[in-house]
Amino acid sequence: MLYQYFLRRFLLTIPTFLGATIVVFFIVQLAPGGPLEQRIMQLQQAAAAEGGGGDVFGTTEIPPEAIEELKRFYGFDKPIYLRYLIWLGVYPRETDYQYLRPGKPKPVGEGVRLMVVKENGQYKLVNADDPSQPVEGWYIGKERERFGETVVEIYRKEFSGILTGNFGKSFVYQEPVLNLIKERIRISLQFGLIALILSYVICTYLGIQKALEHGTPFDLVTSILVFIGYSIPGWALGAVMLILFGGGSFWDVFPLGGFQSPDYESLSFFEKIWDRAYHAILPTLSYTISSFATLTVLMKNSLLENLSQDYIRTAFAKGLSEKRVIWLHALRNSVIPIAANIGFIIGVFVTGSYFIELVFNIDGFGKLSFEAILTRDYPIVFSFAVIAVLIKLFGAIFSDMVLAMVDPRIRFQ
Amino acid sequence: MNRTEQQQKAQPPKSLTVMQRRWRKFKRLKRGYYSFLILLGAYILSFFLPLLVNNRAIAVRYNGEWYFPAVKQMLVENFLIGKLFGMNYFYSGKFFGQEDNPGECNYRRLKEEWEAEGSDNIVIMPPYPYGPIEDIGVEGNEPFMAPFETKDGSAPRLFGTDDRGRDVFARMAYGFFVSISFALILAFFEYAIGVPLGGMLGYFGGKFDIYMQRLIEIWSSLPTLFLIIIVASIVRPNFILLIILLSLVRWVGITTLMRAEFYREKAKDYVAAAVSIGVPTHKIMLKHILPNSLVPIITYFPFSIVAGIAALVGLDFLGFGLPPPTPSWGQMMSVGLQHLTKWWLVIVPLSAMFLTLLLVVFIGEAIREAFDPKVFSRLR
Repeated sequence: MLYQYFLRRFLLTIPTFLGATIVVFFIVQLAPGGPLEQRIMQLQQAAAAEGGGGDVFGTTEIPPEAIEELKRFYGFDKPIYLRYLIWLGVYPRETDYQYLRPGKPKPVGEGVRLMVVKENGQYKLVNADDPSQPVEGWYIGKERERFGETVVEIYRKEFSGILTGNFGKSFVYQEPVLNLIKERIRISLQFGLIALILSYVICTYLGIQKALEHGTPFDLVTSILVFIGYSIPGWALGAVMLILFGGGSFWDVFPLGGFQSPDYESLSFFEKIWDRAYHAILPTLSYTISSFATLTVLMKNSLLENLSQDYIRTAFAKGLSEKRVIWLHALRNSVIPIAANIGFIIGVFVTGSYFIELVFNIDGFGKLSFEAILTRDYPIVFSFAVIAVLIKLFGAIFSDMVLAMVDPRIRFQ
Repeated sequence: MNRTEQQQKAQPPKSLTVMQRRWRKFKRLKRGYYSFLILLGAYILSFFLPLLVNNRAIAVRYNGEWYFPAVKQMLVENFLIGKLFGMNYFYSGKFFGQEDNPGECNYRRLKEEWEAEGSDNIVIMPPYPYGPIEDIGVEGNEPFMAPFETKDGSAPRLFGTDDRGRDVFARMAYGFFVSISFALILAFFEYAIGVPLGGMLGYFGGKFDIYMQRLIEIWSSLPTLFLIIIVASIVRPNFILLIILLSLVRWVGITTLMRAEFYREKAKDYVAAAVSIGVPTHKIMLKHILPNSLVPIITYFPFSIVAGIAALVGLDFLGFGLPPPTPSWGQMMSVGLQHLTKWWLVIVPLSAMFLTLLLVVFIGEAIREAFDPKVFSRLR
């Protein structure tokens, strides 16, 4: 029953995932001022700056061939629904463009020479060395003018998109997006995971203590912390800590940001560990505070609620020790809501926070994707969106799994 | 004591409605109640900010005529009535006889000049004579003045100035007005979408509900802030566009809440009774179920305000919020982070945001306590 339920949940993520990617894709692609426009503008400015052939407005005509090629480079030569399907990887992507002059053979690799011939007004692709052999894997595209000559383009087809694990190549870094992400996500993960563990340990413990000492001075004092946590976003607290401890105006205790010192490589092993930790303290604190208030209050209320239940009364009445009742009976049921929260919190921590990474100047995943928006580096923008959607979807399922694990009474339908 | 008097005494006190009882409970929770009063007072006061903190004079008497630039500004910008009448609060320096100043009149200088001359002309300045938008273009404004620094005997800068010589205290104060107004309007739209939609989903159910649930699922799996930044990086956002974008994101929360509430209430006997005596559906929803669903609507409100303010500050911080030079806390913080040695640039807007959100959170806690009390009985 439970397996069936989760199987269904996993299957249901497919339409949701498709829906979410459609929304993201269309919003980004339909927006004006995309990479193509930016590039064309750059070229125009560059041409105008060189002073060659600019008109009175300082704009320069870019040859239509060049625009055509740019369009193809950024994938704007197809209607948007096809672009979406290509991007997903369920519609073939055209690659390896070659230009053939009709009647002239041209080597296209692997010792094959191809030739385009015109038959009955239509172009046909033949093997130049052995016309009897069929041509496999190459397709004829449009006829176009290049440098004053009529050429025919040919291309290969391949299915490659996010579903086949091809996230594309960054326009800015000229590197596969996956490589970039792998590098950056390691950094984000380091902060995220430490902060995740820290917040769970601290919040659970504090929540329990607050519940047990409900109404005492300890409870009231820690409530102040909780209220601070509620009323200040983690990144903003990070900014305060930078001002206070970053050495600008007050105490020079911690570095101004970054992930490690510039001379990191020359340090000894233990110095390396210390260096990392030293750089990580303030950002990790910022991350931790983001979920601190919610988790603590959740834990406290949940335990308080359980402590007022009948089964606790029974347990006390049986003469069990207070320790046993609280830590075994009440706590077991009280951790359920905060355990169920884990999937949602993971999302925040794994994808990093643009805010915290920007405040502390950490080259993590969040900062990468934020900068990608500014530079219109669409492959990175899309990849971030896809990963964020996936983490949210699976985070929710993961939460339910954890819930099923810690609460055997749960019956999913 | 005669009988009638006795009878009157014996009568039970007039019974209170649920709402009245909750309001009394709320008033008894001092922390929340006073936070509410302080915040309400501060917000009402902030409508009159142009009269209190401004570089424009409240009143000018020049050649026997009275002019009220700050009052007009208040009517135009804060009450929006002035806009309807096409009011103009701009007076050039030349207009008041500052021959060398074709731009906006520098009222601080005007006041000094007239006082030195001993003329009949009068300038009445606001108590804090600096505005949120005037920068180094106006004489007397210098970048990075420290808190309480004065120059040439002018009024001290309470919280210094920023990188463009704009007064930090003035920007903080106007930022409060902008933030709260933004959050309130945003919450209004959120509710305007979420309450009817959630109510219909919960009450009618069926196919509509199933499809909308899918949409909500898709919507809540989106990295929404990321998408807003993308849109905002393309279209320079203004106040209205930001409200639209954020309401497009935020309707989900209250919709889900209302859906669950209507779904639960629908199954209760009083609804069945209303249906059976033939009350029309819209009346059942509006007059029967809605008043019983007020608890989540009201308790959610403060947290929606907190989220709205935090979202605005965040977007402003990233540079995708309100267009400059709108005074906003997020923009102030991002300037501050570029100039870490000028601590007041970060601390001031941040403290303002912190205190505001703290008050809202206190109110929220008290409202929840009053509307949805959880009684924990301790057994030992």
